[in-house]
Amino acid sequence: MENLRITATERSPEVDFDFAAGRLRLKGESYPEDASAVFGPIFAALESFLASAPQGREVLFEFDLTYFNSSSAKALMNMFQVLDHAASGGRTITVNWFFAPDDDTMKEFGEDFSEDLEHVAFNLVAVEPAD
Amino acid sequence: MLAKYYRSFKHDLDQRGIIFSFSGYLSEEILYSLGNALRQKMTLEDANVSTVKKVFSVFVEQAQNIIRYSADKLSGDGSKSIELSSGMVTIGTENDHFFIVCANVVLAADEPRLRERLERLRSMDRDAIKAYYKEQLREAPEEQSKGATIGLIEIARRASEPIEFDFDPIDADKFFFCMKVSI
Repeated sequence: MENLRITATERSPEVDFDFAAGRLRLKGESYPEDASAVFGPIFAALESFLASAPQGREVLFEFDLTYFNSSSAKALMNMFQVLDHAASGGRTITVNWFFAPDDDTMKEFGEDFSEDLEHVAFNLVAVEPAD
Repeated sequence: MLAKYYRSFKHDLDQRGIIFSFSGYLSEEILYSLGNALRQKMTLEDANVSTVKKVFSVFVEQAQNIIRYSADKLSGDGSKSIELSSGMVTIGTENDHFFIVCANVVLAADEPRLRERLERLRSMDRDAIKAYYKEQLREAPEEQSKGATIGLIEIARRASEPIEFDFDPIDADKFFFCMKVSI
């Protein structure tokens, strides 16, 4: 299946879904006017990838986000529900949730999202920002 | 006279601790530029990362609420999908806290629901607000409300005190709505 690469804009994150390698990544900030316009295509690609992924397929999803608004948070929650459902169906899904050590908000969001996950392996990863 | 008049106007803003105030037609591009200026200013003044994030987040949610819900809108002639929403966003400091005030015109028909949502948030403590946020994250969006509830809960979550709000009647059909959040 075709990889999905979308360059970050001022208010939407970089998308780097390498389906062949099973490595998916969202990076940057997300506060678009219309969250469904940004997340719709991302969802569509993710769902079709997961639907065709065989049992035991290993998938690593990295969330390297520094800020998102409330409508993006809702889209992320939906994404986690999709991931957990796919993991319950036999795929081995790992999520790495990156946050800067002094960023309590992003850490707390990671904790909030992870509470609902039963089948996805969720790691909170503190990393110093690159710049 | 000109300089004197505007110096006095600026002095009044400075006396109120206002960092910047925007009044007029707001777009997503203006939101982006003002938000960046706000973050740069706070970072230059060594505000801690958490505070910068909280102020920025409340600013974004408030500005996007104005863009979506202001009852005072200017639309294009139909050939372009341009729509500008009028409102006001003010950011400042008082008593060593940042505050963010937003104001816009709302329809009288929408006032009871907005008031009820804000009253409900005011009655909640931190844990209740957090639980309510999670509950709303899982919910499908309400009709007619492109995410207003979750936006208001996000604002309440970042605030250090209960949200202050007020409605001033303009005429039979409209209110001037104002909300103040302290970080």
